[in-house]
Amino acid sequence: MRCSYAPMGLHVVVDLSKCSGCRYCEVWCSFTHEKVFSTSFSRIRVIKDDVIGMDFPIVCQQCVQAVCVSVCPTGALYVGSDGVVRLERMKCVGCGRCLDACPYGAVFKDPVNGFPLICDLCGGRAVCVVKCPTNALSLYPLTEVEVVGVEGLGRRYELALTEFGKLLERWGVRVRVK
Amino acid sequence: MSGLSRFYGYVGKVLRVNLTTREVRVVGLEEGLVRAYLGGRGLNVVRLYYEVPPSVDPLSPENKLFFGVGPVVGTGFPLGARLNVTAKSPQTGILGDSNVGGHFAPELKYAGFDQVVIEGRSSRPVYLYIHDGAVEVRDADGLWGMRVREAYEAIRREVGDPGVQIAVVGPAAENLVRFSGIFFNRSRPAARTGLGTVMASKGLKAIAVRGDGYVEVAKPELFEELVEEVEFEVYSHEQYWPRRVMGTSRILMAANKIGVLPGKHFTEPEVPYAFEVSGEMLALRYNVKNRACFSCVVPCSRVFVVKRFSECFISEGPEYEALAGMTVRIGNKDLDKALKAIELVNDLGMDVISVSEVLSWAMELYSRGVLSREEVGGLSLDWGDMEVVMELLMDIAYRRGFGDVLADGVVAAAEKLGKGLEIAFHVKRLEMIQADPRGLKGYGLGFAVSSRGADHLRSEPFIELSDDPEVGLRMFGESEATLRLGVRGKGRLVAYYENLCALVDSLGVCKNLAENMDILNYQKVAKLVEAVTGMTLSVAEVEAIGERIVNLERVYDVREGVGREHDVLPERFLREPLKVGASAGHVIELDLMLDEYYRVRGWDVRSGIPTARKLEELGLRDVVEDLRRMGLLPG
Repeated sequence: MRCSYAPMGLHVVVDLSKCSGCRYCEVWCSFTHEKVFSTSFSRIRVIKDDVIGMDFPIVCQQCVQAVCVSVCPTGALYVGSDGVVRLERMKCVGCGRCLDACPYGAVFKDPVNGFPLICDLCGGRAVCVVKCPTNALSLYPLTEVEVVGVEGLGRRYELALTEFGKLLERWGVRVRVK
Repeated sequence: MSGLSRFYGYVGKVLRVNLTTREVRVVGLEEGLVRAYLGGRGLNVVRLYYEVPPSVDPLSPENKLFFGVGPVVGTGFPLGARLNVTAKSPQTGILGDSNVGGHFAPELKYAGFDQVVIEGRSSRPVYLYIHDGAVEVRDADGLWGMRVREAYEAIRREVGDPGVQIAVVGPAAENLVRFSGIFFNRSRPAARTGLGTVMASKGLKAIAVRGDGYVEVAKPELFEELVEEVEFEVYSHEQYWPRRVMGTSRILMAANKIGVLPGKHFTEPEVPYAFEVSGEMLALRYNVKNRACFSCVVPCSRVFVVKRFSECFISEGPEYEALAGMTVRIGNKDLDKALKAIELVNDLGMDVISVSEVLSWAMELYSRGVLSREEVGGLSLDWGDMEVVMELLMDIAYRRGFGDVLADGVVAAAEKLGKGLEIAFHVKRLEMIQADPRGLKGYGLGFAVSSRGADHLRSEPFIELSDDPEVGLRMFGESEATLRLGVRGKGRLVAYYENLCALVDSLGVCKNLAENMDILNYQKVAKLVEAVTGMTLSVAEVEAIGERIVNLERVYDVREGVGREHDVLPERFLREPLKVGASAGHVIELDLMLDEYYRVRGWDVRSGIPTARKLEELGLRDVVEDLRRMGLLPG
């Protein structure tokens, strides 16, 4: 087992049972970053289903080894000195590989210029967390745990690990299988 | 961001779709109208007044359907997500108007429009897909006949985007049941006054909206400051947690306590089984999570699960009107069955308030032997028999048998049968809500004078429930004004809150923030308008906008034949005192309150028609001319 910490030590944790789907996070994220109120310029999005009452916020999980950065063919995406993923617009060709690669679906496309929109934790004072009316969002320290030697333990073990990993994630611990 | 909106807070565009000719026009929002009416309800009614004259049949292509959004919608202002829908009502023949939350209103703005006007009639069923400043008229042959949920899911699949917001009408509307609503993403209806019926009469099954646009505010710092102030007041408000836990379903127990429930068609103002069918019971046994409208910080909607073996389902709601309507009003003590019935009413696309009146009205007549079993199509219409209710709901929606008799509303049903008119509980043909005006006299006055018929959401004088004479003295110079059983000062109370309702409906904010929680008052509205639009208005000017809208709606109704003789309540409330409960012994002294109301309004006390002086003071000169031409101007 090997532990490592997220770049800023923080990530946005979602408590699904509390999310009301109001999208207050979306409009205030958009306002903070772009000075306009919208849901299409935000770095956090709530996926909803009004038949079963689903409200599921999707936001960057601050991967230690950010896949979006590693697939970027031009080096436009990079990890900044503050540890969060940043974009150098001059280098971005809008290929969209980062959008496809993100395992959380947390890279969004700016509808005006096609650039990727990725959470920057607002410099540590994440506005989505500050504004969330139900405390469904919180900022939490993140630790990644790499577990090794679990291949070949069977399908049931894999299933259990996936589900248990979701529980651990709510506590700020992410499991990565090596 | 590059580029500025022409008006801050607004998109600045109105979409007009003529379904007869398939002509689509995008026109600029008129600055003069915005200054006088703000948006939403105000903007809708001014167009209705000028574009739909008195002779128009509400179900003809000449009627128009307006969807209006206010300047606050789509910003991050708490509780700012309301959409206002307006047309001439096929249920009442006067102003048809209904207001709804959810996520449709902001999406319409992000899709590029402050208002959508539907004109004409399509010969084939169609639906509209409005996105990013454009509109497609799409074929809806395959959707016609579908229930609300099925249609919502089908269109969502066709558009291929979970974020699409969809307004649909159900089979009841297609069959021109007069009290059909428009249902937004399945569970949120603009239900009152039969606007779904108007939409279906135009061959329009649905409107889907989606957009990547944005809204800018004029003074961001002031706006942020105001938002933080409002957030703080909301979170520290005594109603915050009860609303979050129960929404309006909490009212059932409260209404039982003060003896104003509509039990068995307003004969049982309190019931021993109230707790069994209450919001508290829902919170204890049924609710699983909260949901909110767009940009709302008081998530008062609840997802619930019914776990009875034969009928398991998951849904959202219910609010007090539906809950009391499908329980105490029809004498039903089974909460599971009530929830199932509400689900069916919504899925068929009807207004649950009007439904609860036609059902309880027929049940009362049946229980007294006035209606025979043959006259009600062989059904045994006993109080609380939910098997019969479920069957009758289907019969109403599909206009079968006795259902067809009820499908045009309670007044029409009494007229068709030639009996029961004296206990048809309506005002101006709109069926009454779930509160007995004998124990809530300000509400009673509000029902009588409301511009859309018997409804509380035109005035919502919630403050009279405080029963605090000090408040009345301070706000209205009359201590009785804020006592629920008081009579004096109610005219002032109702006029004050009617103006505020009109104002917040025009801004696009929820009444819970204004009338109920008393956070958004006239002072804050003035600040909000300045922060969002940049218009600096005094408190008096802001109040005048609300008053102007109420007056224009009144004149619209006057033009359709309404006068003081229509500002009445059903006889039972005027003559028969409540027999039990905390409001026992009371009738409602309507005439006294009406006199005061008209005087406060500056309307002619005898006819109930606005005077030339008042209308001119509000800048409604054309309207004075119209009344004069029709010989309706008082004095």
